[in-house]
Amino acid sequence: MGHGIVVQNLGKRFSSYSSDRPRTIMQAAMGGLKRLKAINHFWALRNVSFEVQPGEILGVLGHNGAGKSTLLRLIGGIGSPDEGQINIRGRVGALLDLGAGFHEDLTGRENLMVVALIGGLTREEALARQDKIIEFAELESFIDNPIRTYSTGMGMRLAFSIAIHTDPQILLIDEHLSVGDIGFQAKCIERVKALRDQGCAIMLISQSPDQVMEVCDRALLLNRGQVAAYSDPATVVAEYHAAMHPHQNPRLPQANELVLGEKIKITAMEVSPAAPFQCGGSLTVDLDYDCIEPLNDPIFTVRILHESGAVCFDSNTESFGCHTMLSPGPGRIRLQVERLDLNGGQYFVSAGVQSQHWETLLEYQDKMRELVVAPTPIVEGLLHAPCVWTTEVPPKSSRRTNHADHGNNVPVSPKT
Amino acid sequence: MASRSQPITQKRWTHRNWVQRRDLLWGLISRDIKLLYNRSALGIAWMLINPLMQLVVYAFVFGVLLVNNSIPNFTSFIFSGLLVWTWFQSSLTEATGAIVHNRSLIRQPGFPVAVLPVVNVATGLIHFVMSLPILLIFLWVDGVQLHAKLLLLPLLMALQFALTVSLAYVLAALNVTFRDTQHTLGVLLQMLFYFSAIFYQVPTEYSQIFQFNPVLILIDGYRSILLAPEATTNSFGWMPLVILTAITAILLPLGHRIFQRQSERFVEEL
Repeated sequence: MGHGIVVQNLGKRFSSYSSDRPRTIMQAAMGGLKRLKAINHFWALRNVSFEVQPGEILGVLGHNGAGKSTLLRLIGGIGSPDEGQINIRGRVGALLDLGAGFHEDLTGRENLMVVALIGGLTREEALARQDKIIEFAELESFIDNPIRTYSTGMGMRLAFSIAIHTDPQILLIDEHLSVGDIGFQAKCIERVKALRDQGCAIMLISQSPDQVMEVCDRALLLNRGQVAAYSDPATVVAEYHAAMHPHQNPRLPQANELVLGEKIKITAMEVSPAAPFQCGGSLTVDLDYDCIEPLNDPIFTVRILHESGAVCFDSNTESFGCHTMLSPGPGRIRLQVERLDLNGGQYFVSAGVQSQHWETLLEYQDKMRELVVAPTPIVEGLLHAPCVWTTEVPPKSSRRTNHADHGNNVPVSPKT
Repeated sequence: MASRSQPITQKRWTHRNWVQRRDLLWGLISRDIKLLYNRSALGIAWMLINPLMQLVVYAFVFGVLLVNNSIPNFTSFIFSGLLVWTWFQSSLTEATGAIVHNRSLIRQPGFPVAVLPVVNVATGLIHFVMSLPILLIFLWVDGVQLHAKLLLLPLLMALQFALTVSLAYVLAALNVTFRDTQHTLGVLLQMLFYFSAIFYQVPTEYSQIFQFNPVLILIDGYRSILLAPEATTNSFGWMPLVILTAITAILLPLGHRIFQRQSERFVEEL
């Protein structure tokens, strides 16, 4: 009956080999054959289950190395799982390696033929669709030039255009919707949606949460090969942002290094003025802490996050040049923000303490307080900075208006 | 609604699938040939110039410089051996890199990986077939009488094709683990070349040993069809060819399996 993808309990194990594994026949003959065995295994994917129905787009989010591409490849039948099952109904079209099968020295048209054949079309079908493919890729005037003269964007357009013209019932796209100019991207997304509406089951790896929100019907978040979230895009994107945080700040150590609250605790946070905060006003954050062990030069950080997870503001005592010596017992530290031009909306304030030189994270209170900013007239964006619009019409006689000097309004006399 | 455009299930071998596979094979072969001659001034003519140049060299060295010319129809003799050898050697060398050099193709879902060495050997076959008319001209100049046995030529070519593909499967698979397979193969082929009786006749006292060389068996086959039975080392009649066919019949599916497994492993390597 229907097509689609059903993945149950999928696991994929990779092996690493000893570094002096023989790479040549010579070395192997010299007695290296035993070192051919793998010394280490790790699971690139484990316990991954999900479904993609016909007419559905599943977005896959995750850090680099989370197993996204491995997952897509396994579904495309490249490599076999070590655990679990993948059930696929329908013909698979894929954009995994961009420009796979393209050859530099052949013309766009010659490459188009070969790649369409590789993509599962017969010669007859490929010939019939050739013009549509070229038209969609907007390459009419370049198609008979060698691919080596193409820009990356042009090659991507051709590859994408071929892939969607092979009538896939299952389409796998690996991060390629973000290549190419904005106009073409929009066109691709339109086309992907159209394919979905025709009943194609689509999986899409993306680095852009916004894109996942816009395009996908469901989303999957992978973290170190495991499903961290599988739900509607909004929920998963929120999880994604939350998971992204520790990595946005390279100074934050990994979760397993945390010694939260053993040496110092943040007991309370006071944000004033109390809600609602007026845009452009000043903000005070008071942190009450309880120091358990003496601390030399700890670093306090305060961070303001939008509800989407975006970091709007981040400040710490070290960059401010504030050095202290803490002795055991309670204490209070204050951050005064002179002016905060946040757009209206829901925000959170997080606070943390790092040891000297950012060595360890001693304490972290995520989203400890809410910060509601009173509505402002502008809906989009995070900032609502004071601004003024003025219009200036360049003098009509000027043929050589220097746009950079627009504001100076210096009339340029016409060339005589 | 999904089946608006013709519904195609992947696993079943429909007529369309066969057509698709054939078209793909043809597309890859023609791409290979285009790539070979694309940017050369003489283009496709190289297909013929190459073996002819070789022939001139060998005929001069072994026919004029080192005169031991007891072999009748020496030019045809060398040229037939040379063509068979060139096909064998070039396609085997190319196909050994089939897995390693085609990572992006192997990573295409649904791409029939096993087709890659076939493409290499088929490209060699096309060169071979293109050169056959020249060989026929030489035969005519040498005054060799062609007879009905010529009709066996396609059979022999099919055997060589299958044998080369089977060897290519094994070598390409080996090349995944040991990247120097291609270089090692070059040296081995060089040796095999001199043991394949391309420009000499095997002295009878050695013919027993030489019968273990599959390329020699093939060349003997071609020569006994094209020239005359006397032109060969073949003291066993057709028996070696039958044995070679049997070996190929075993090696082909075996090599195919090894190849398939190694190419799967290869794409999974990080």
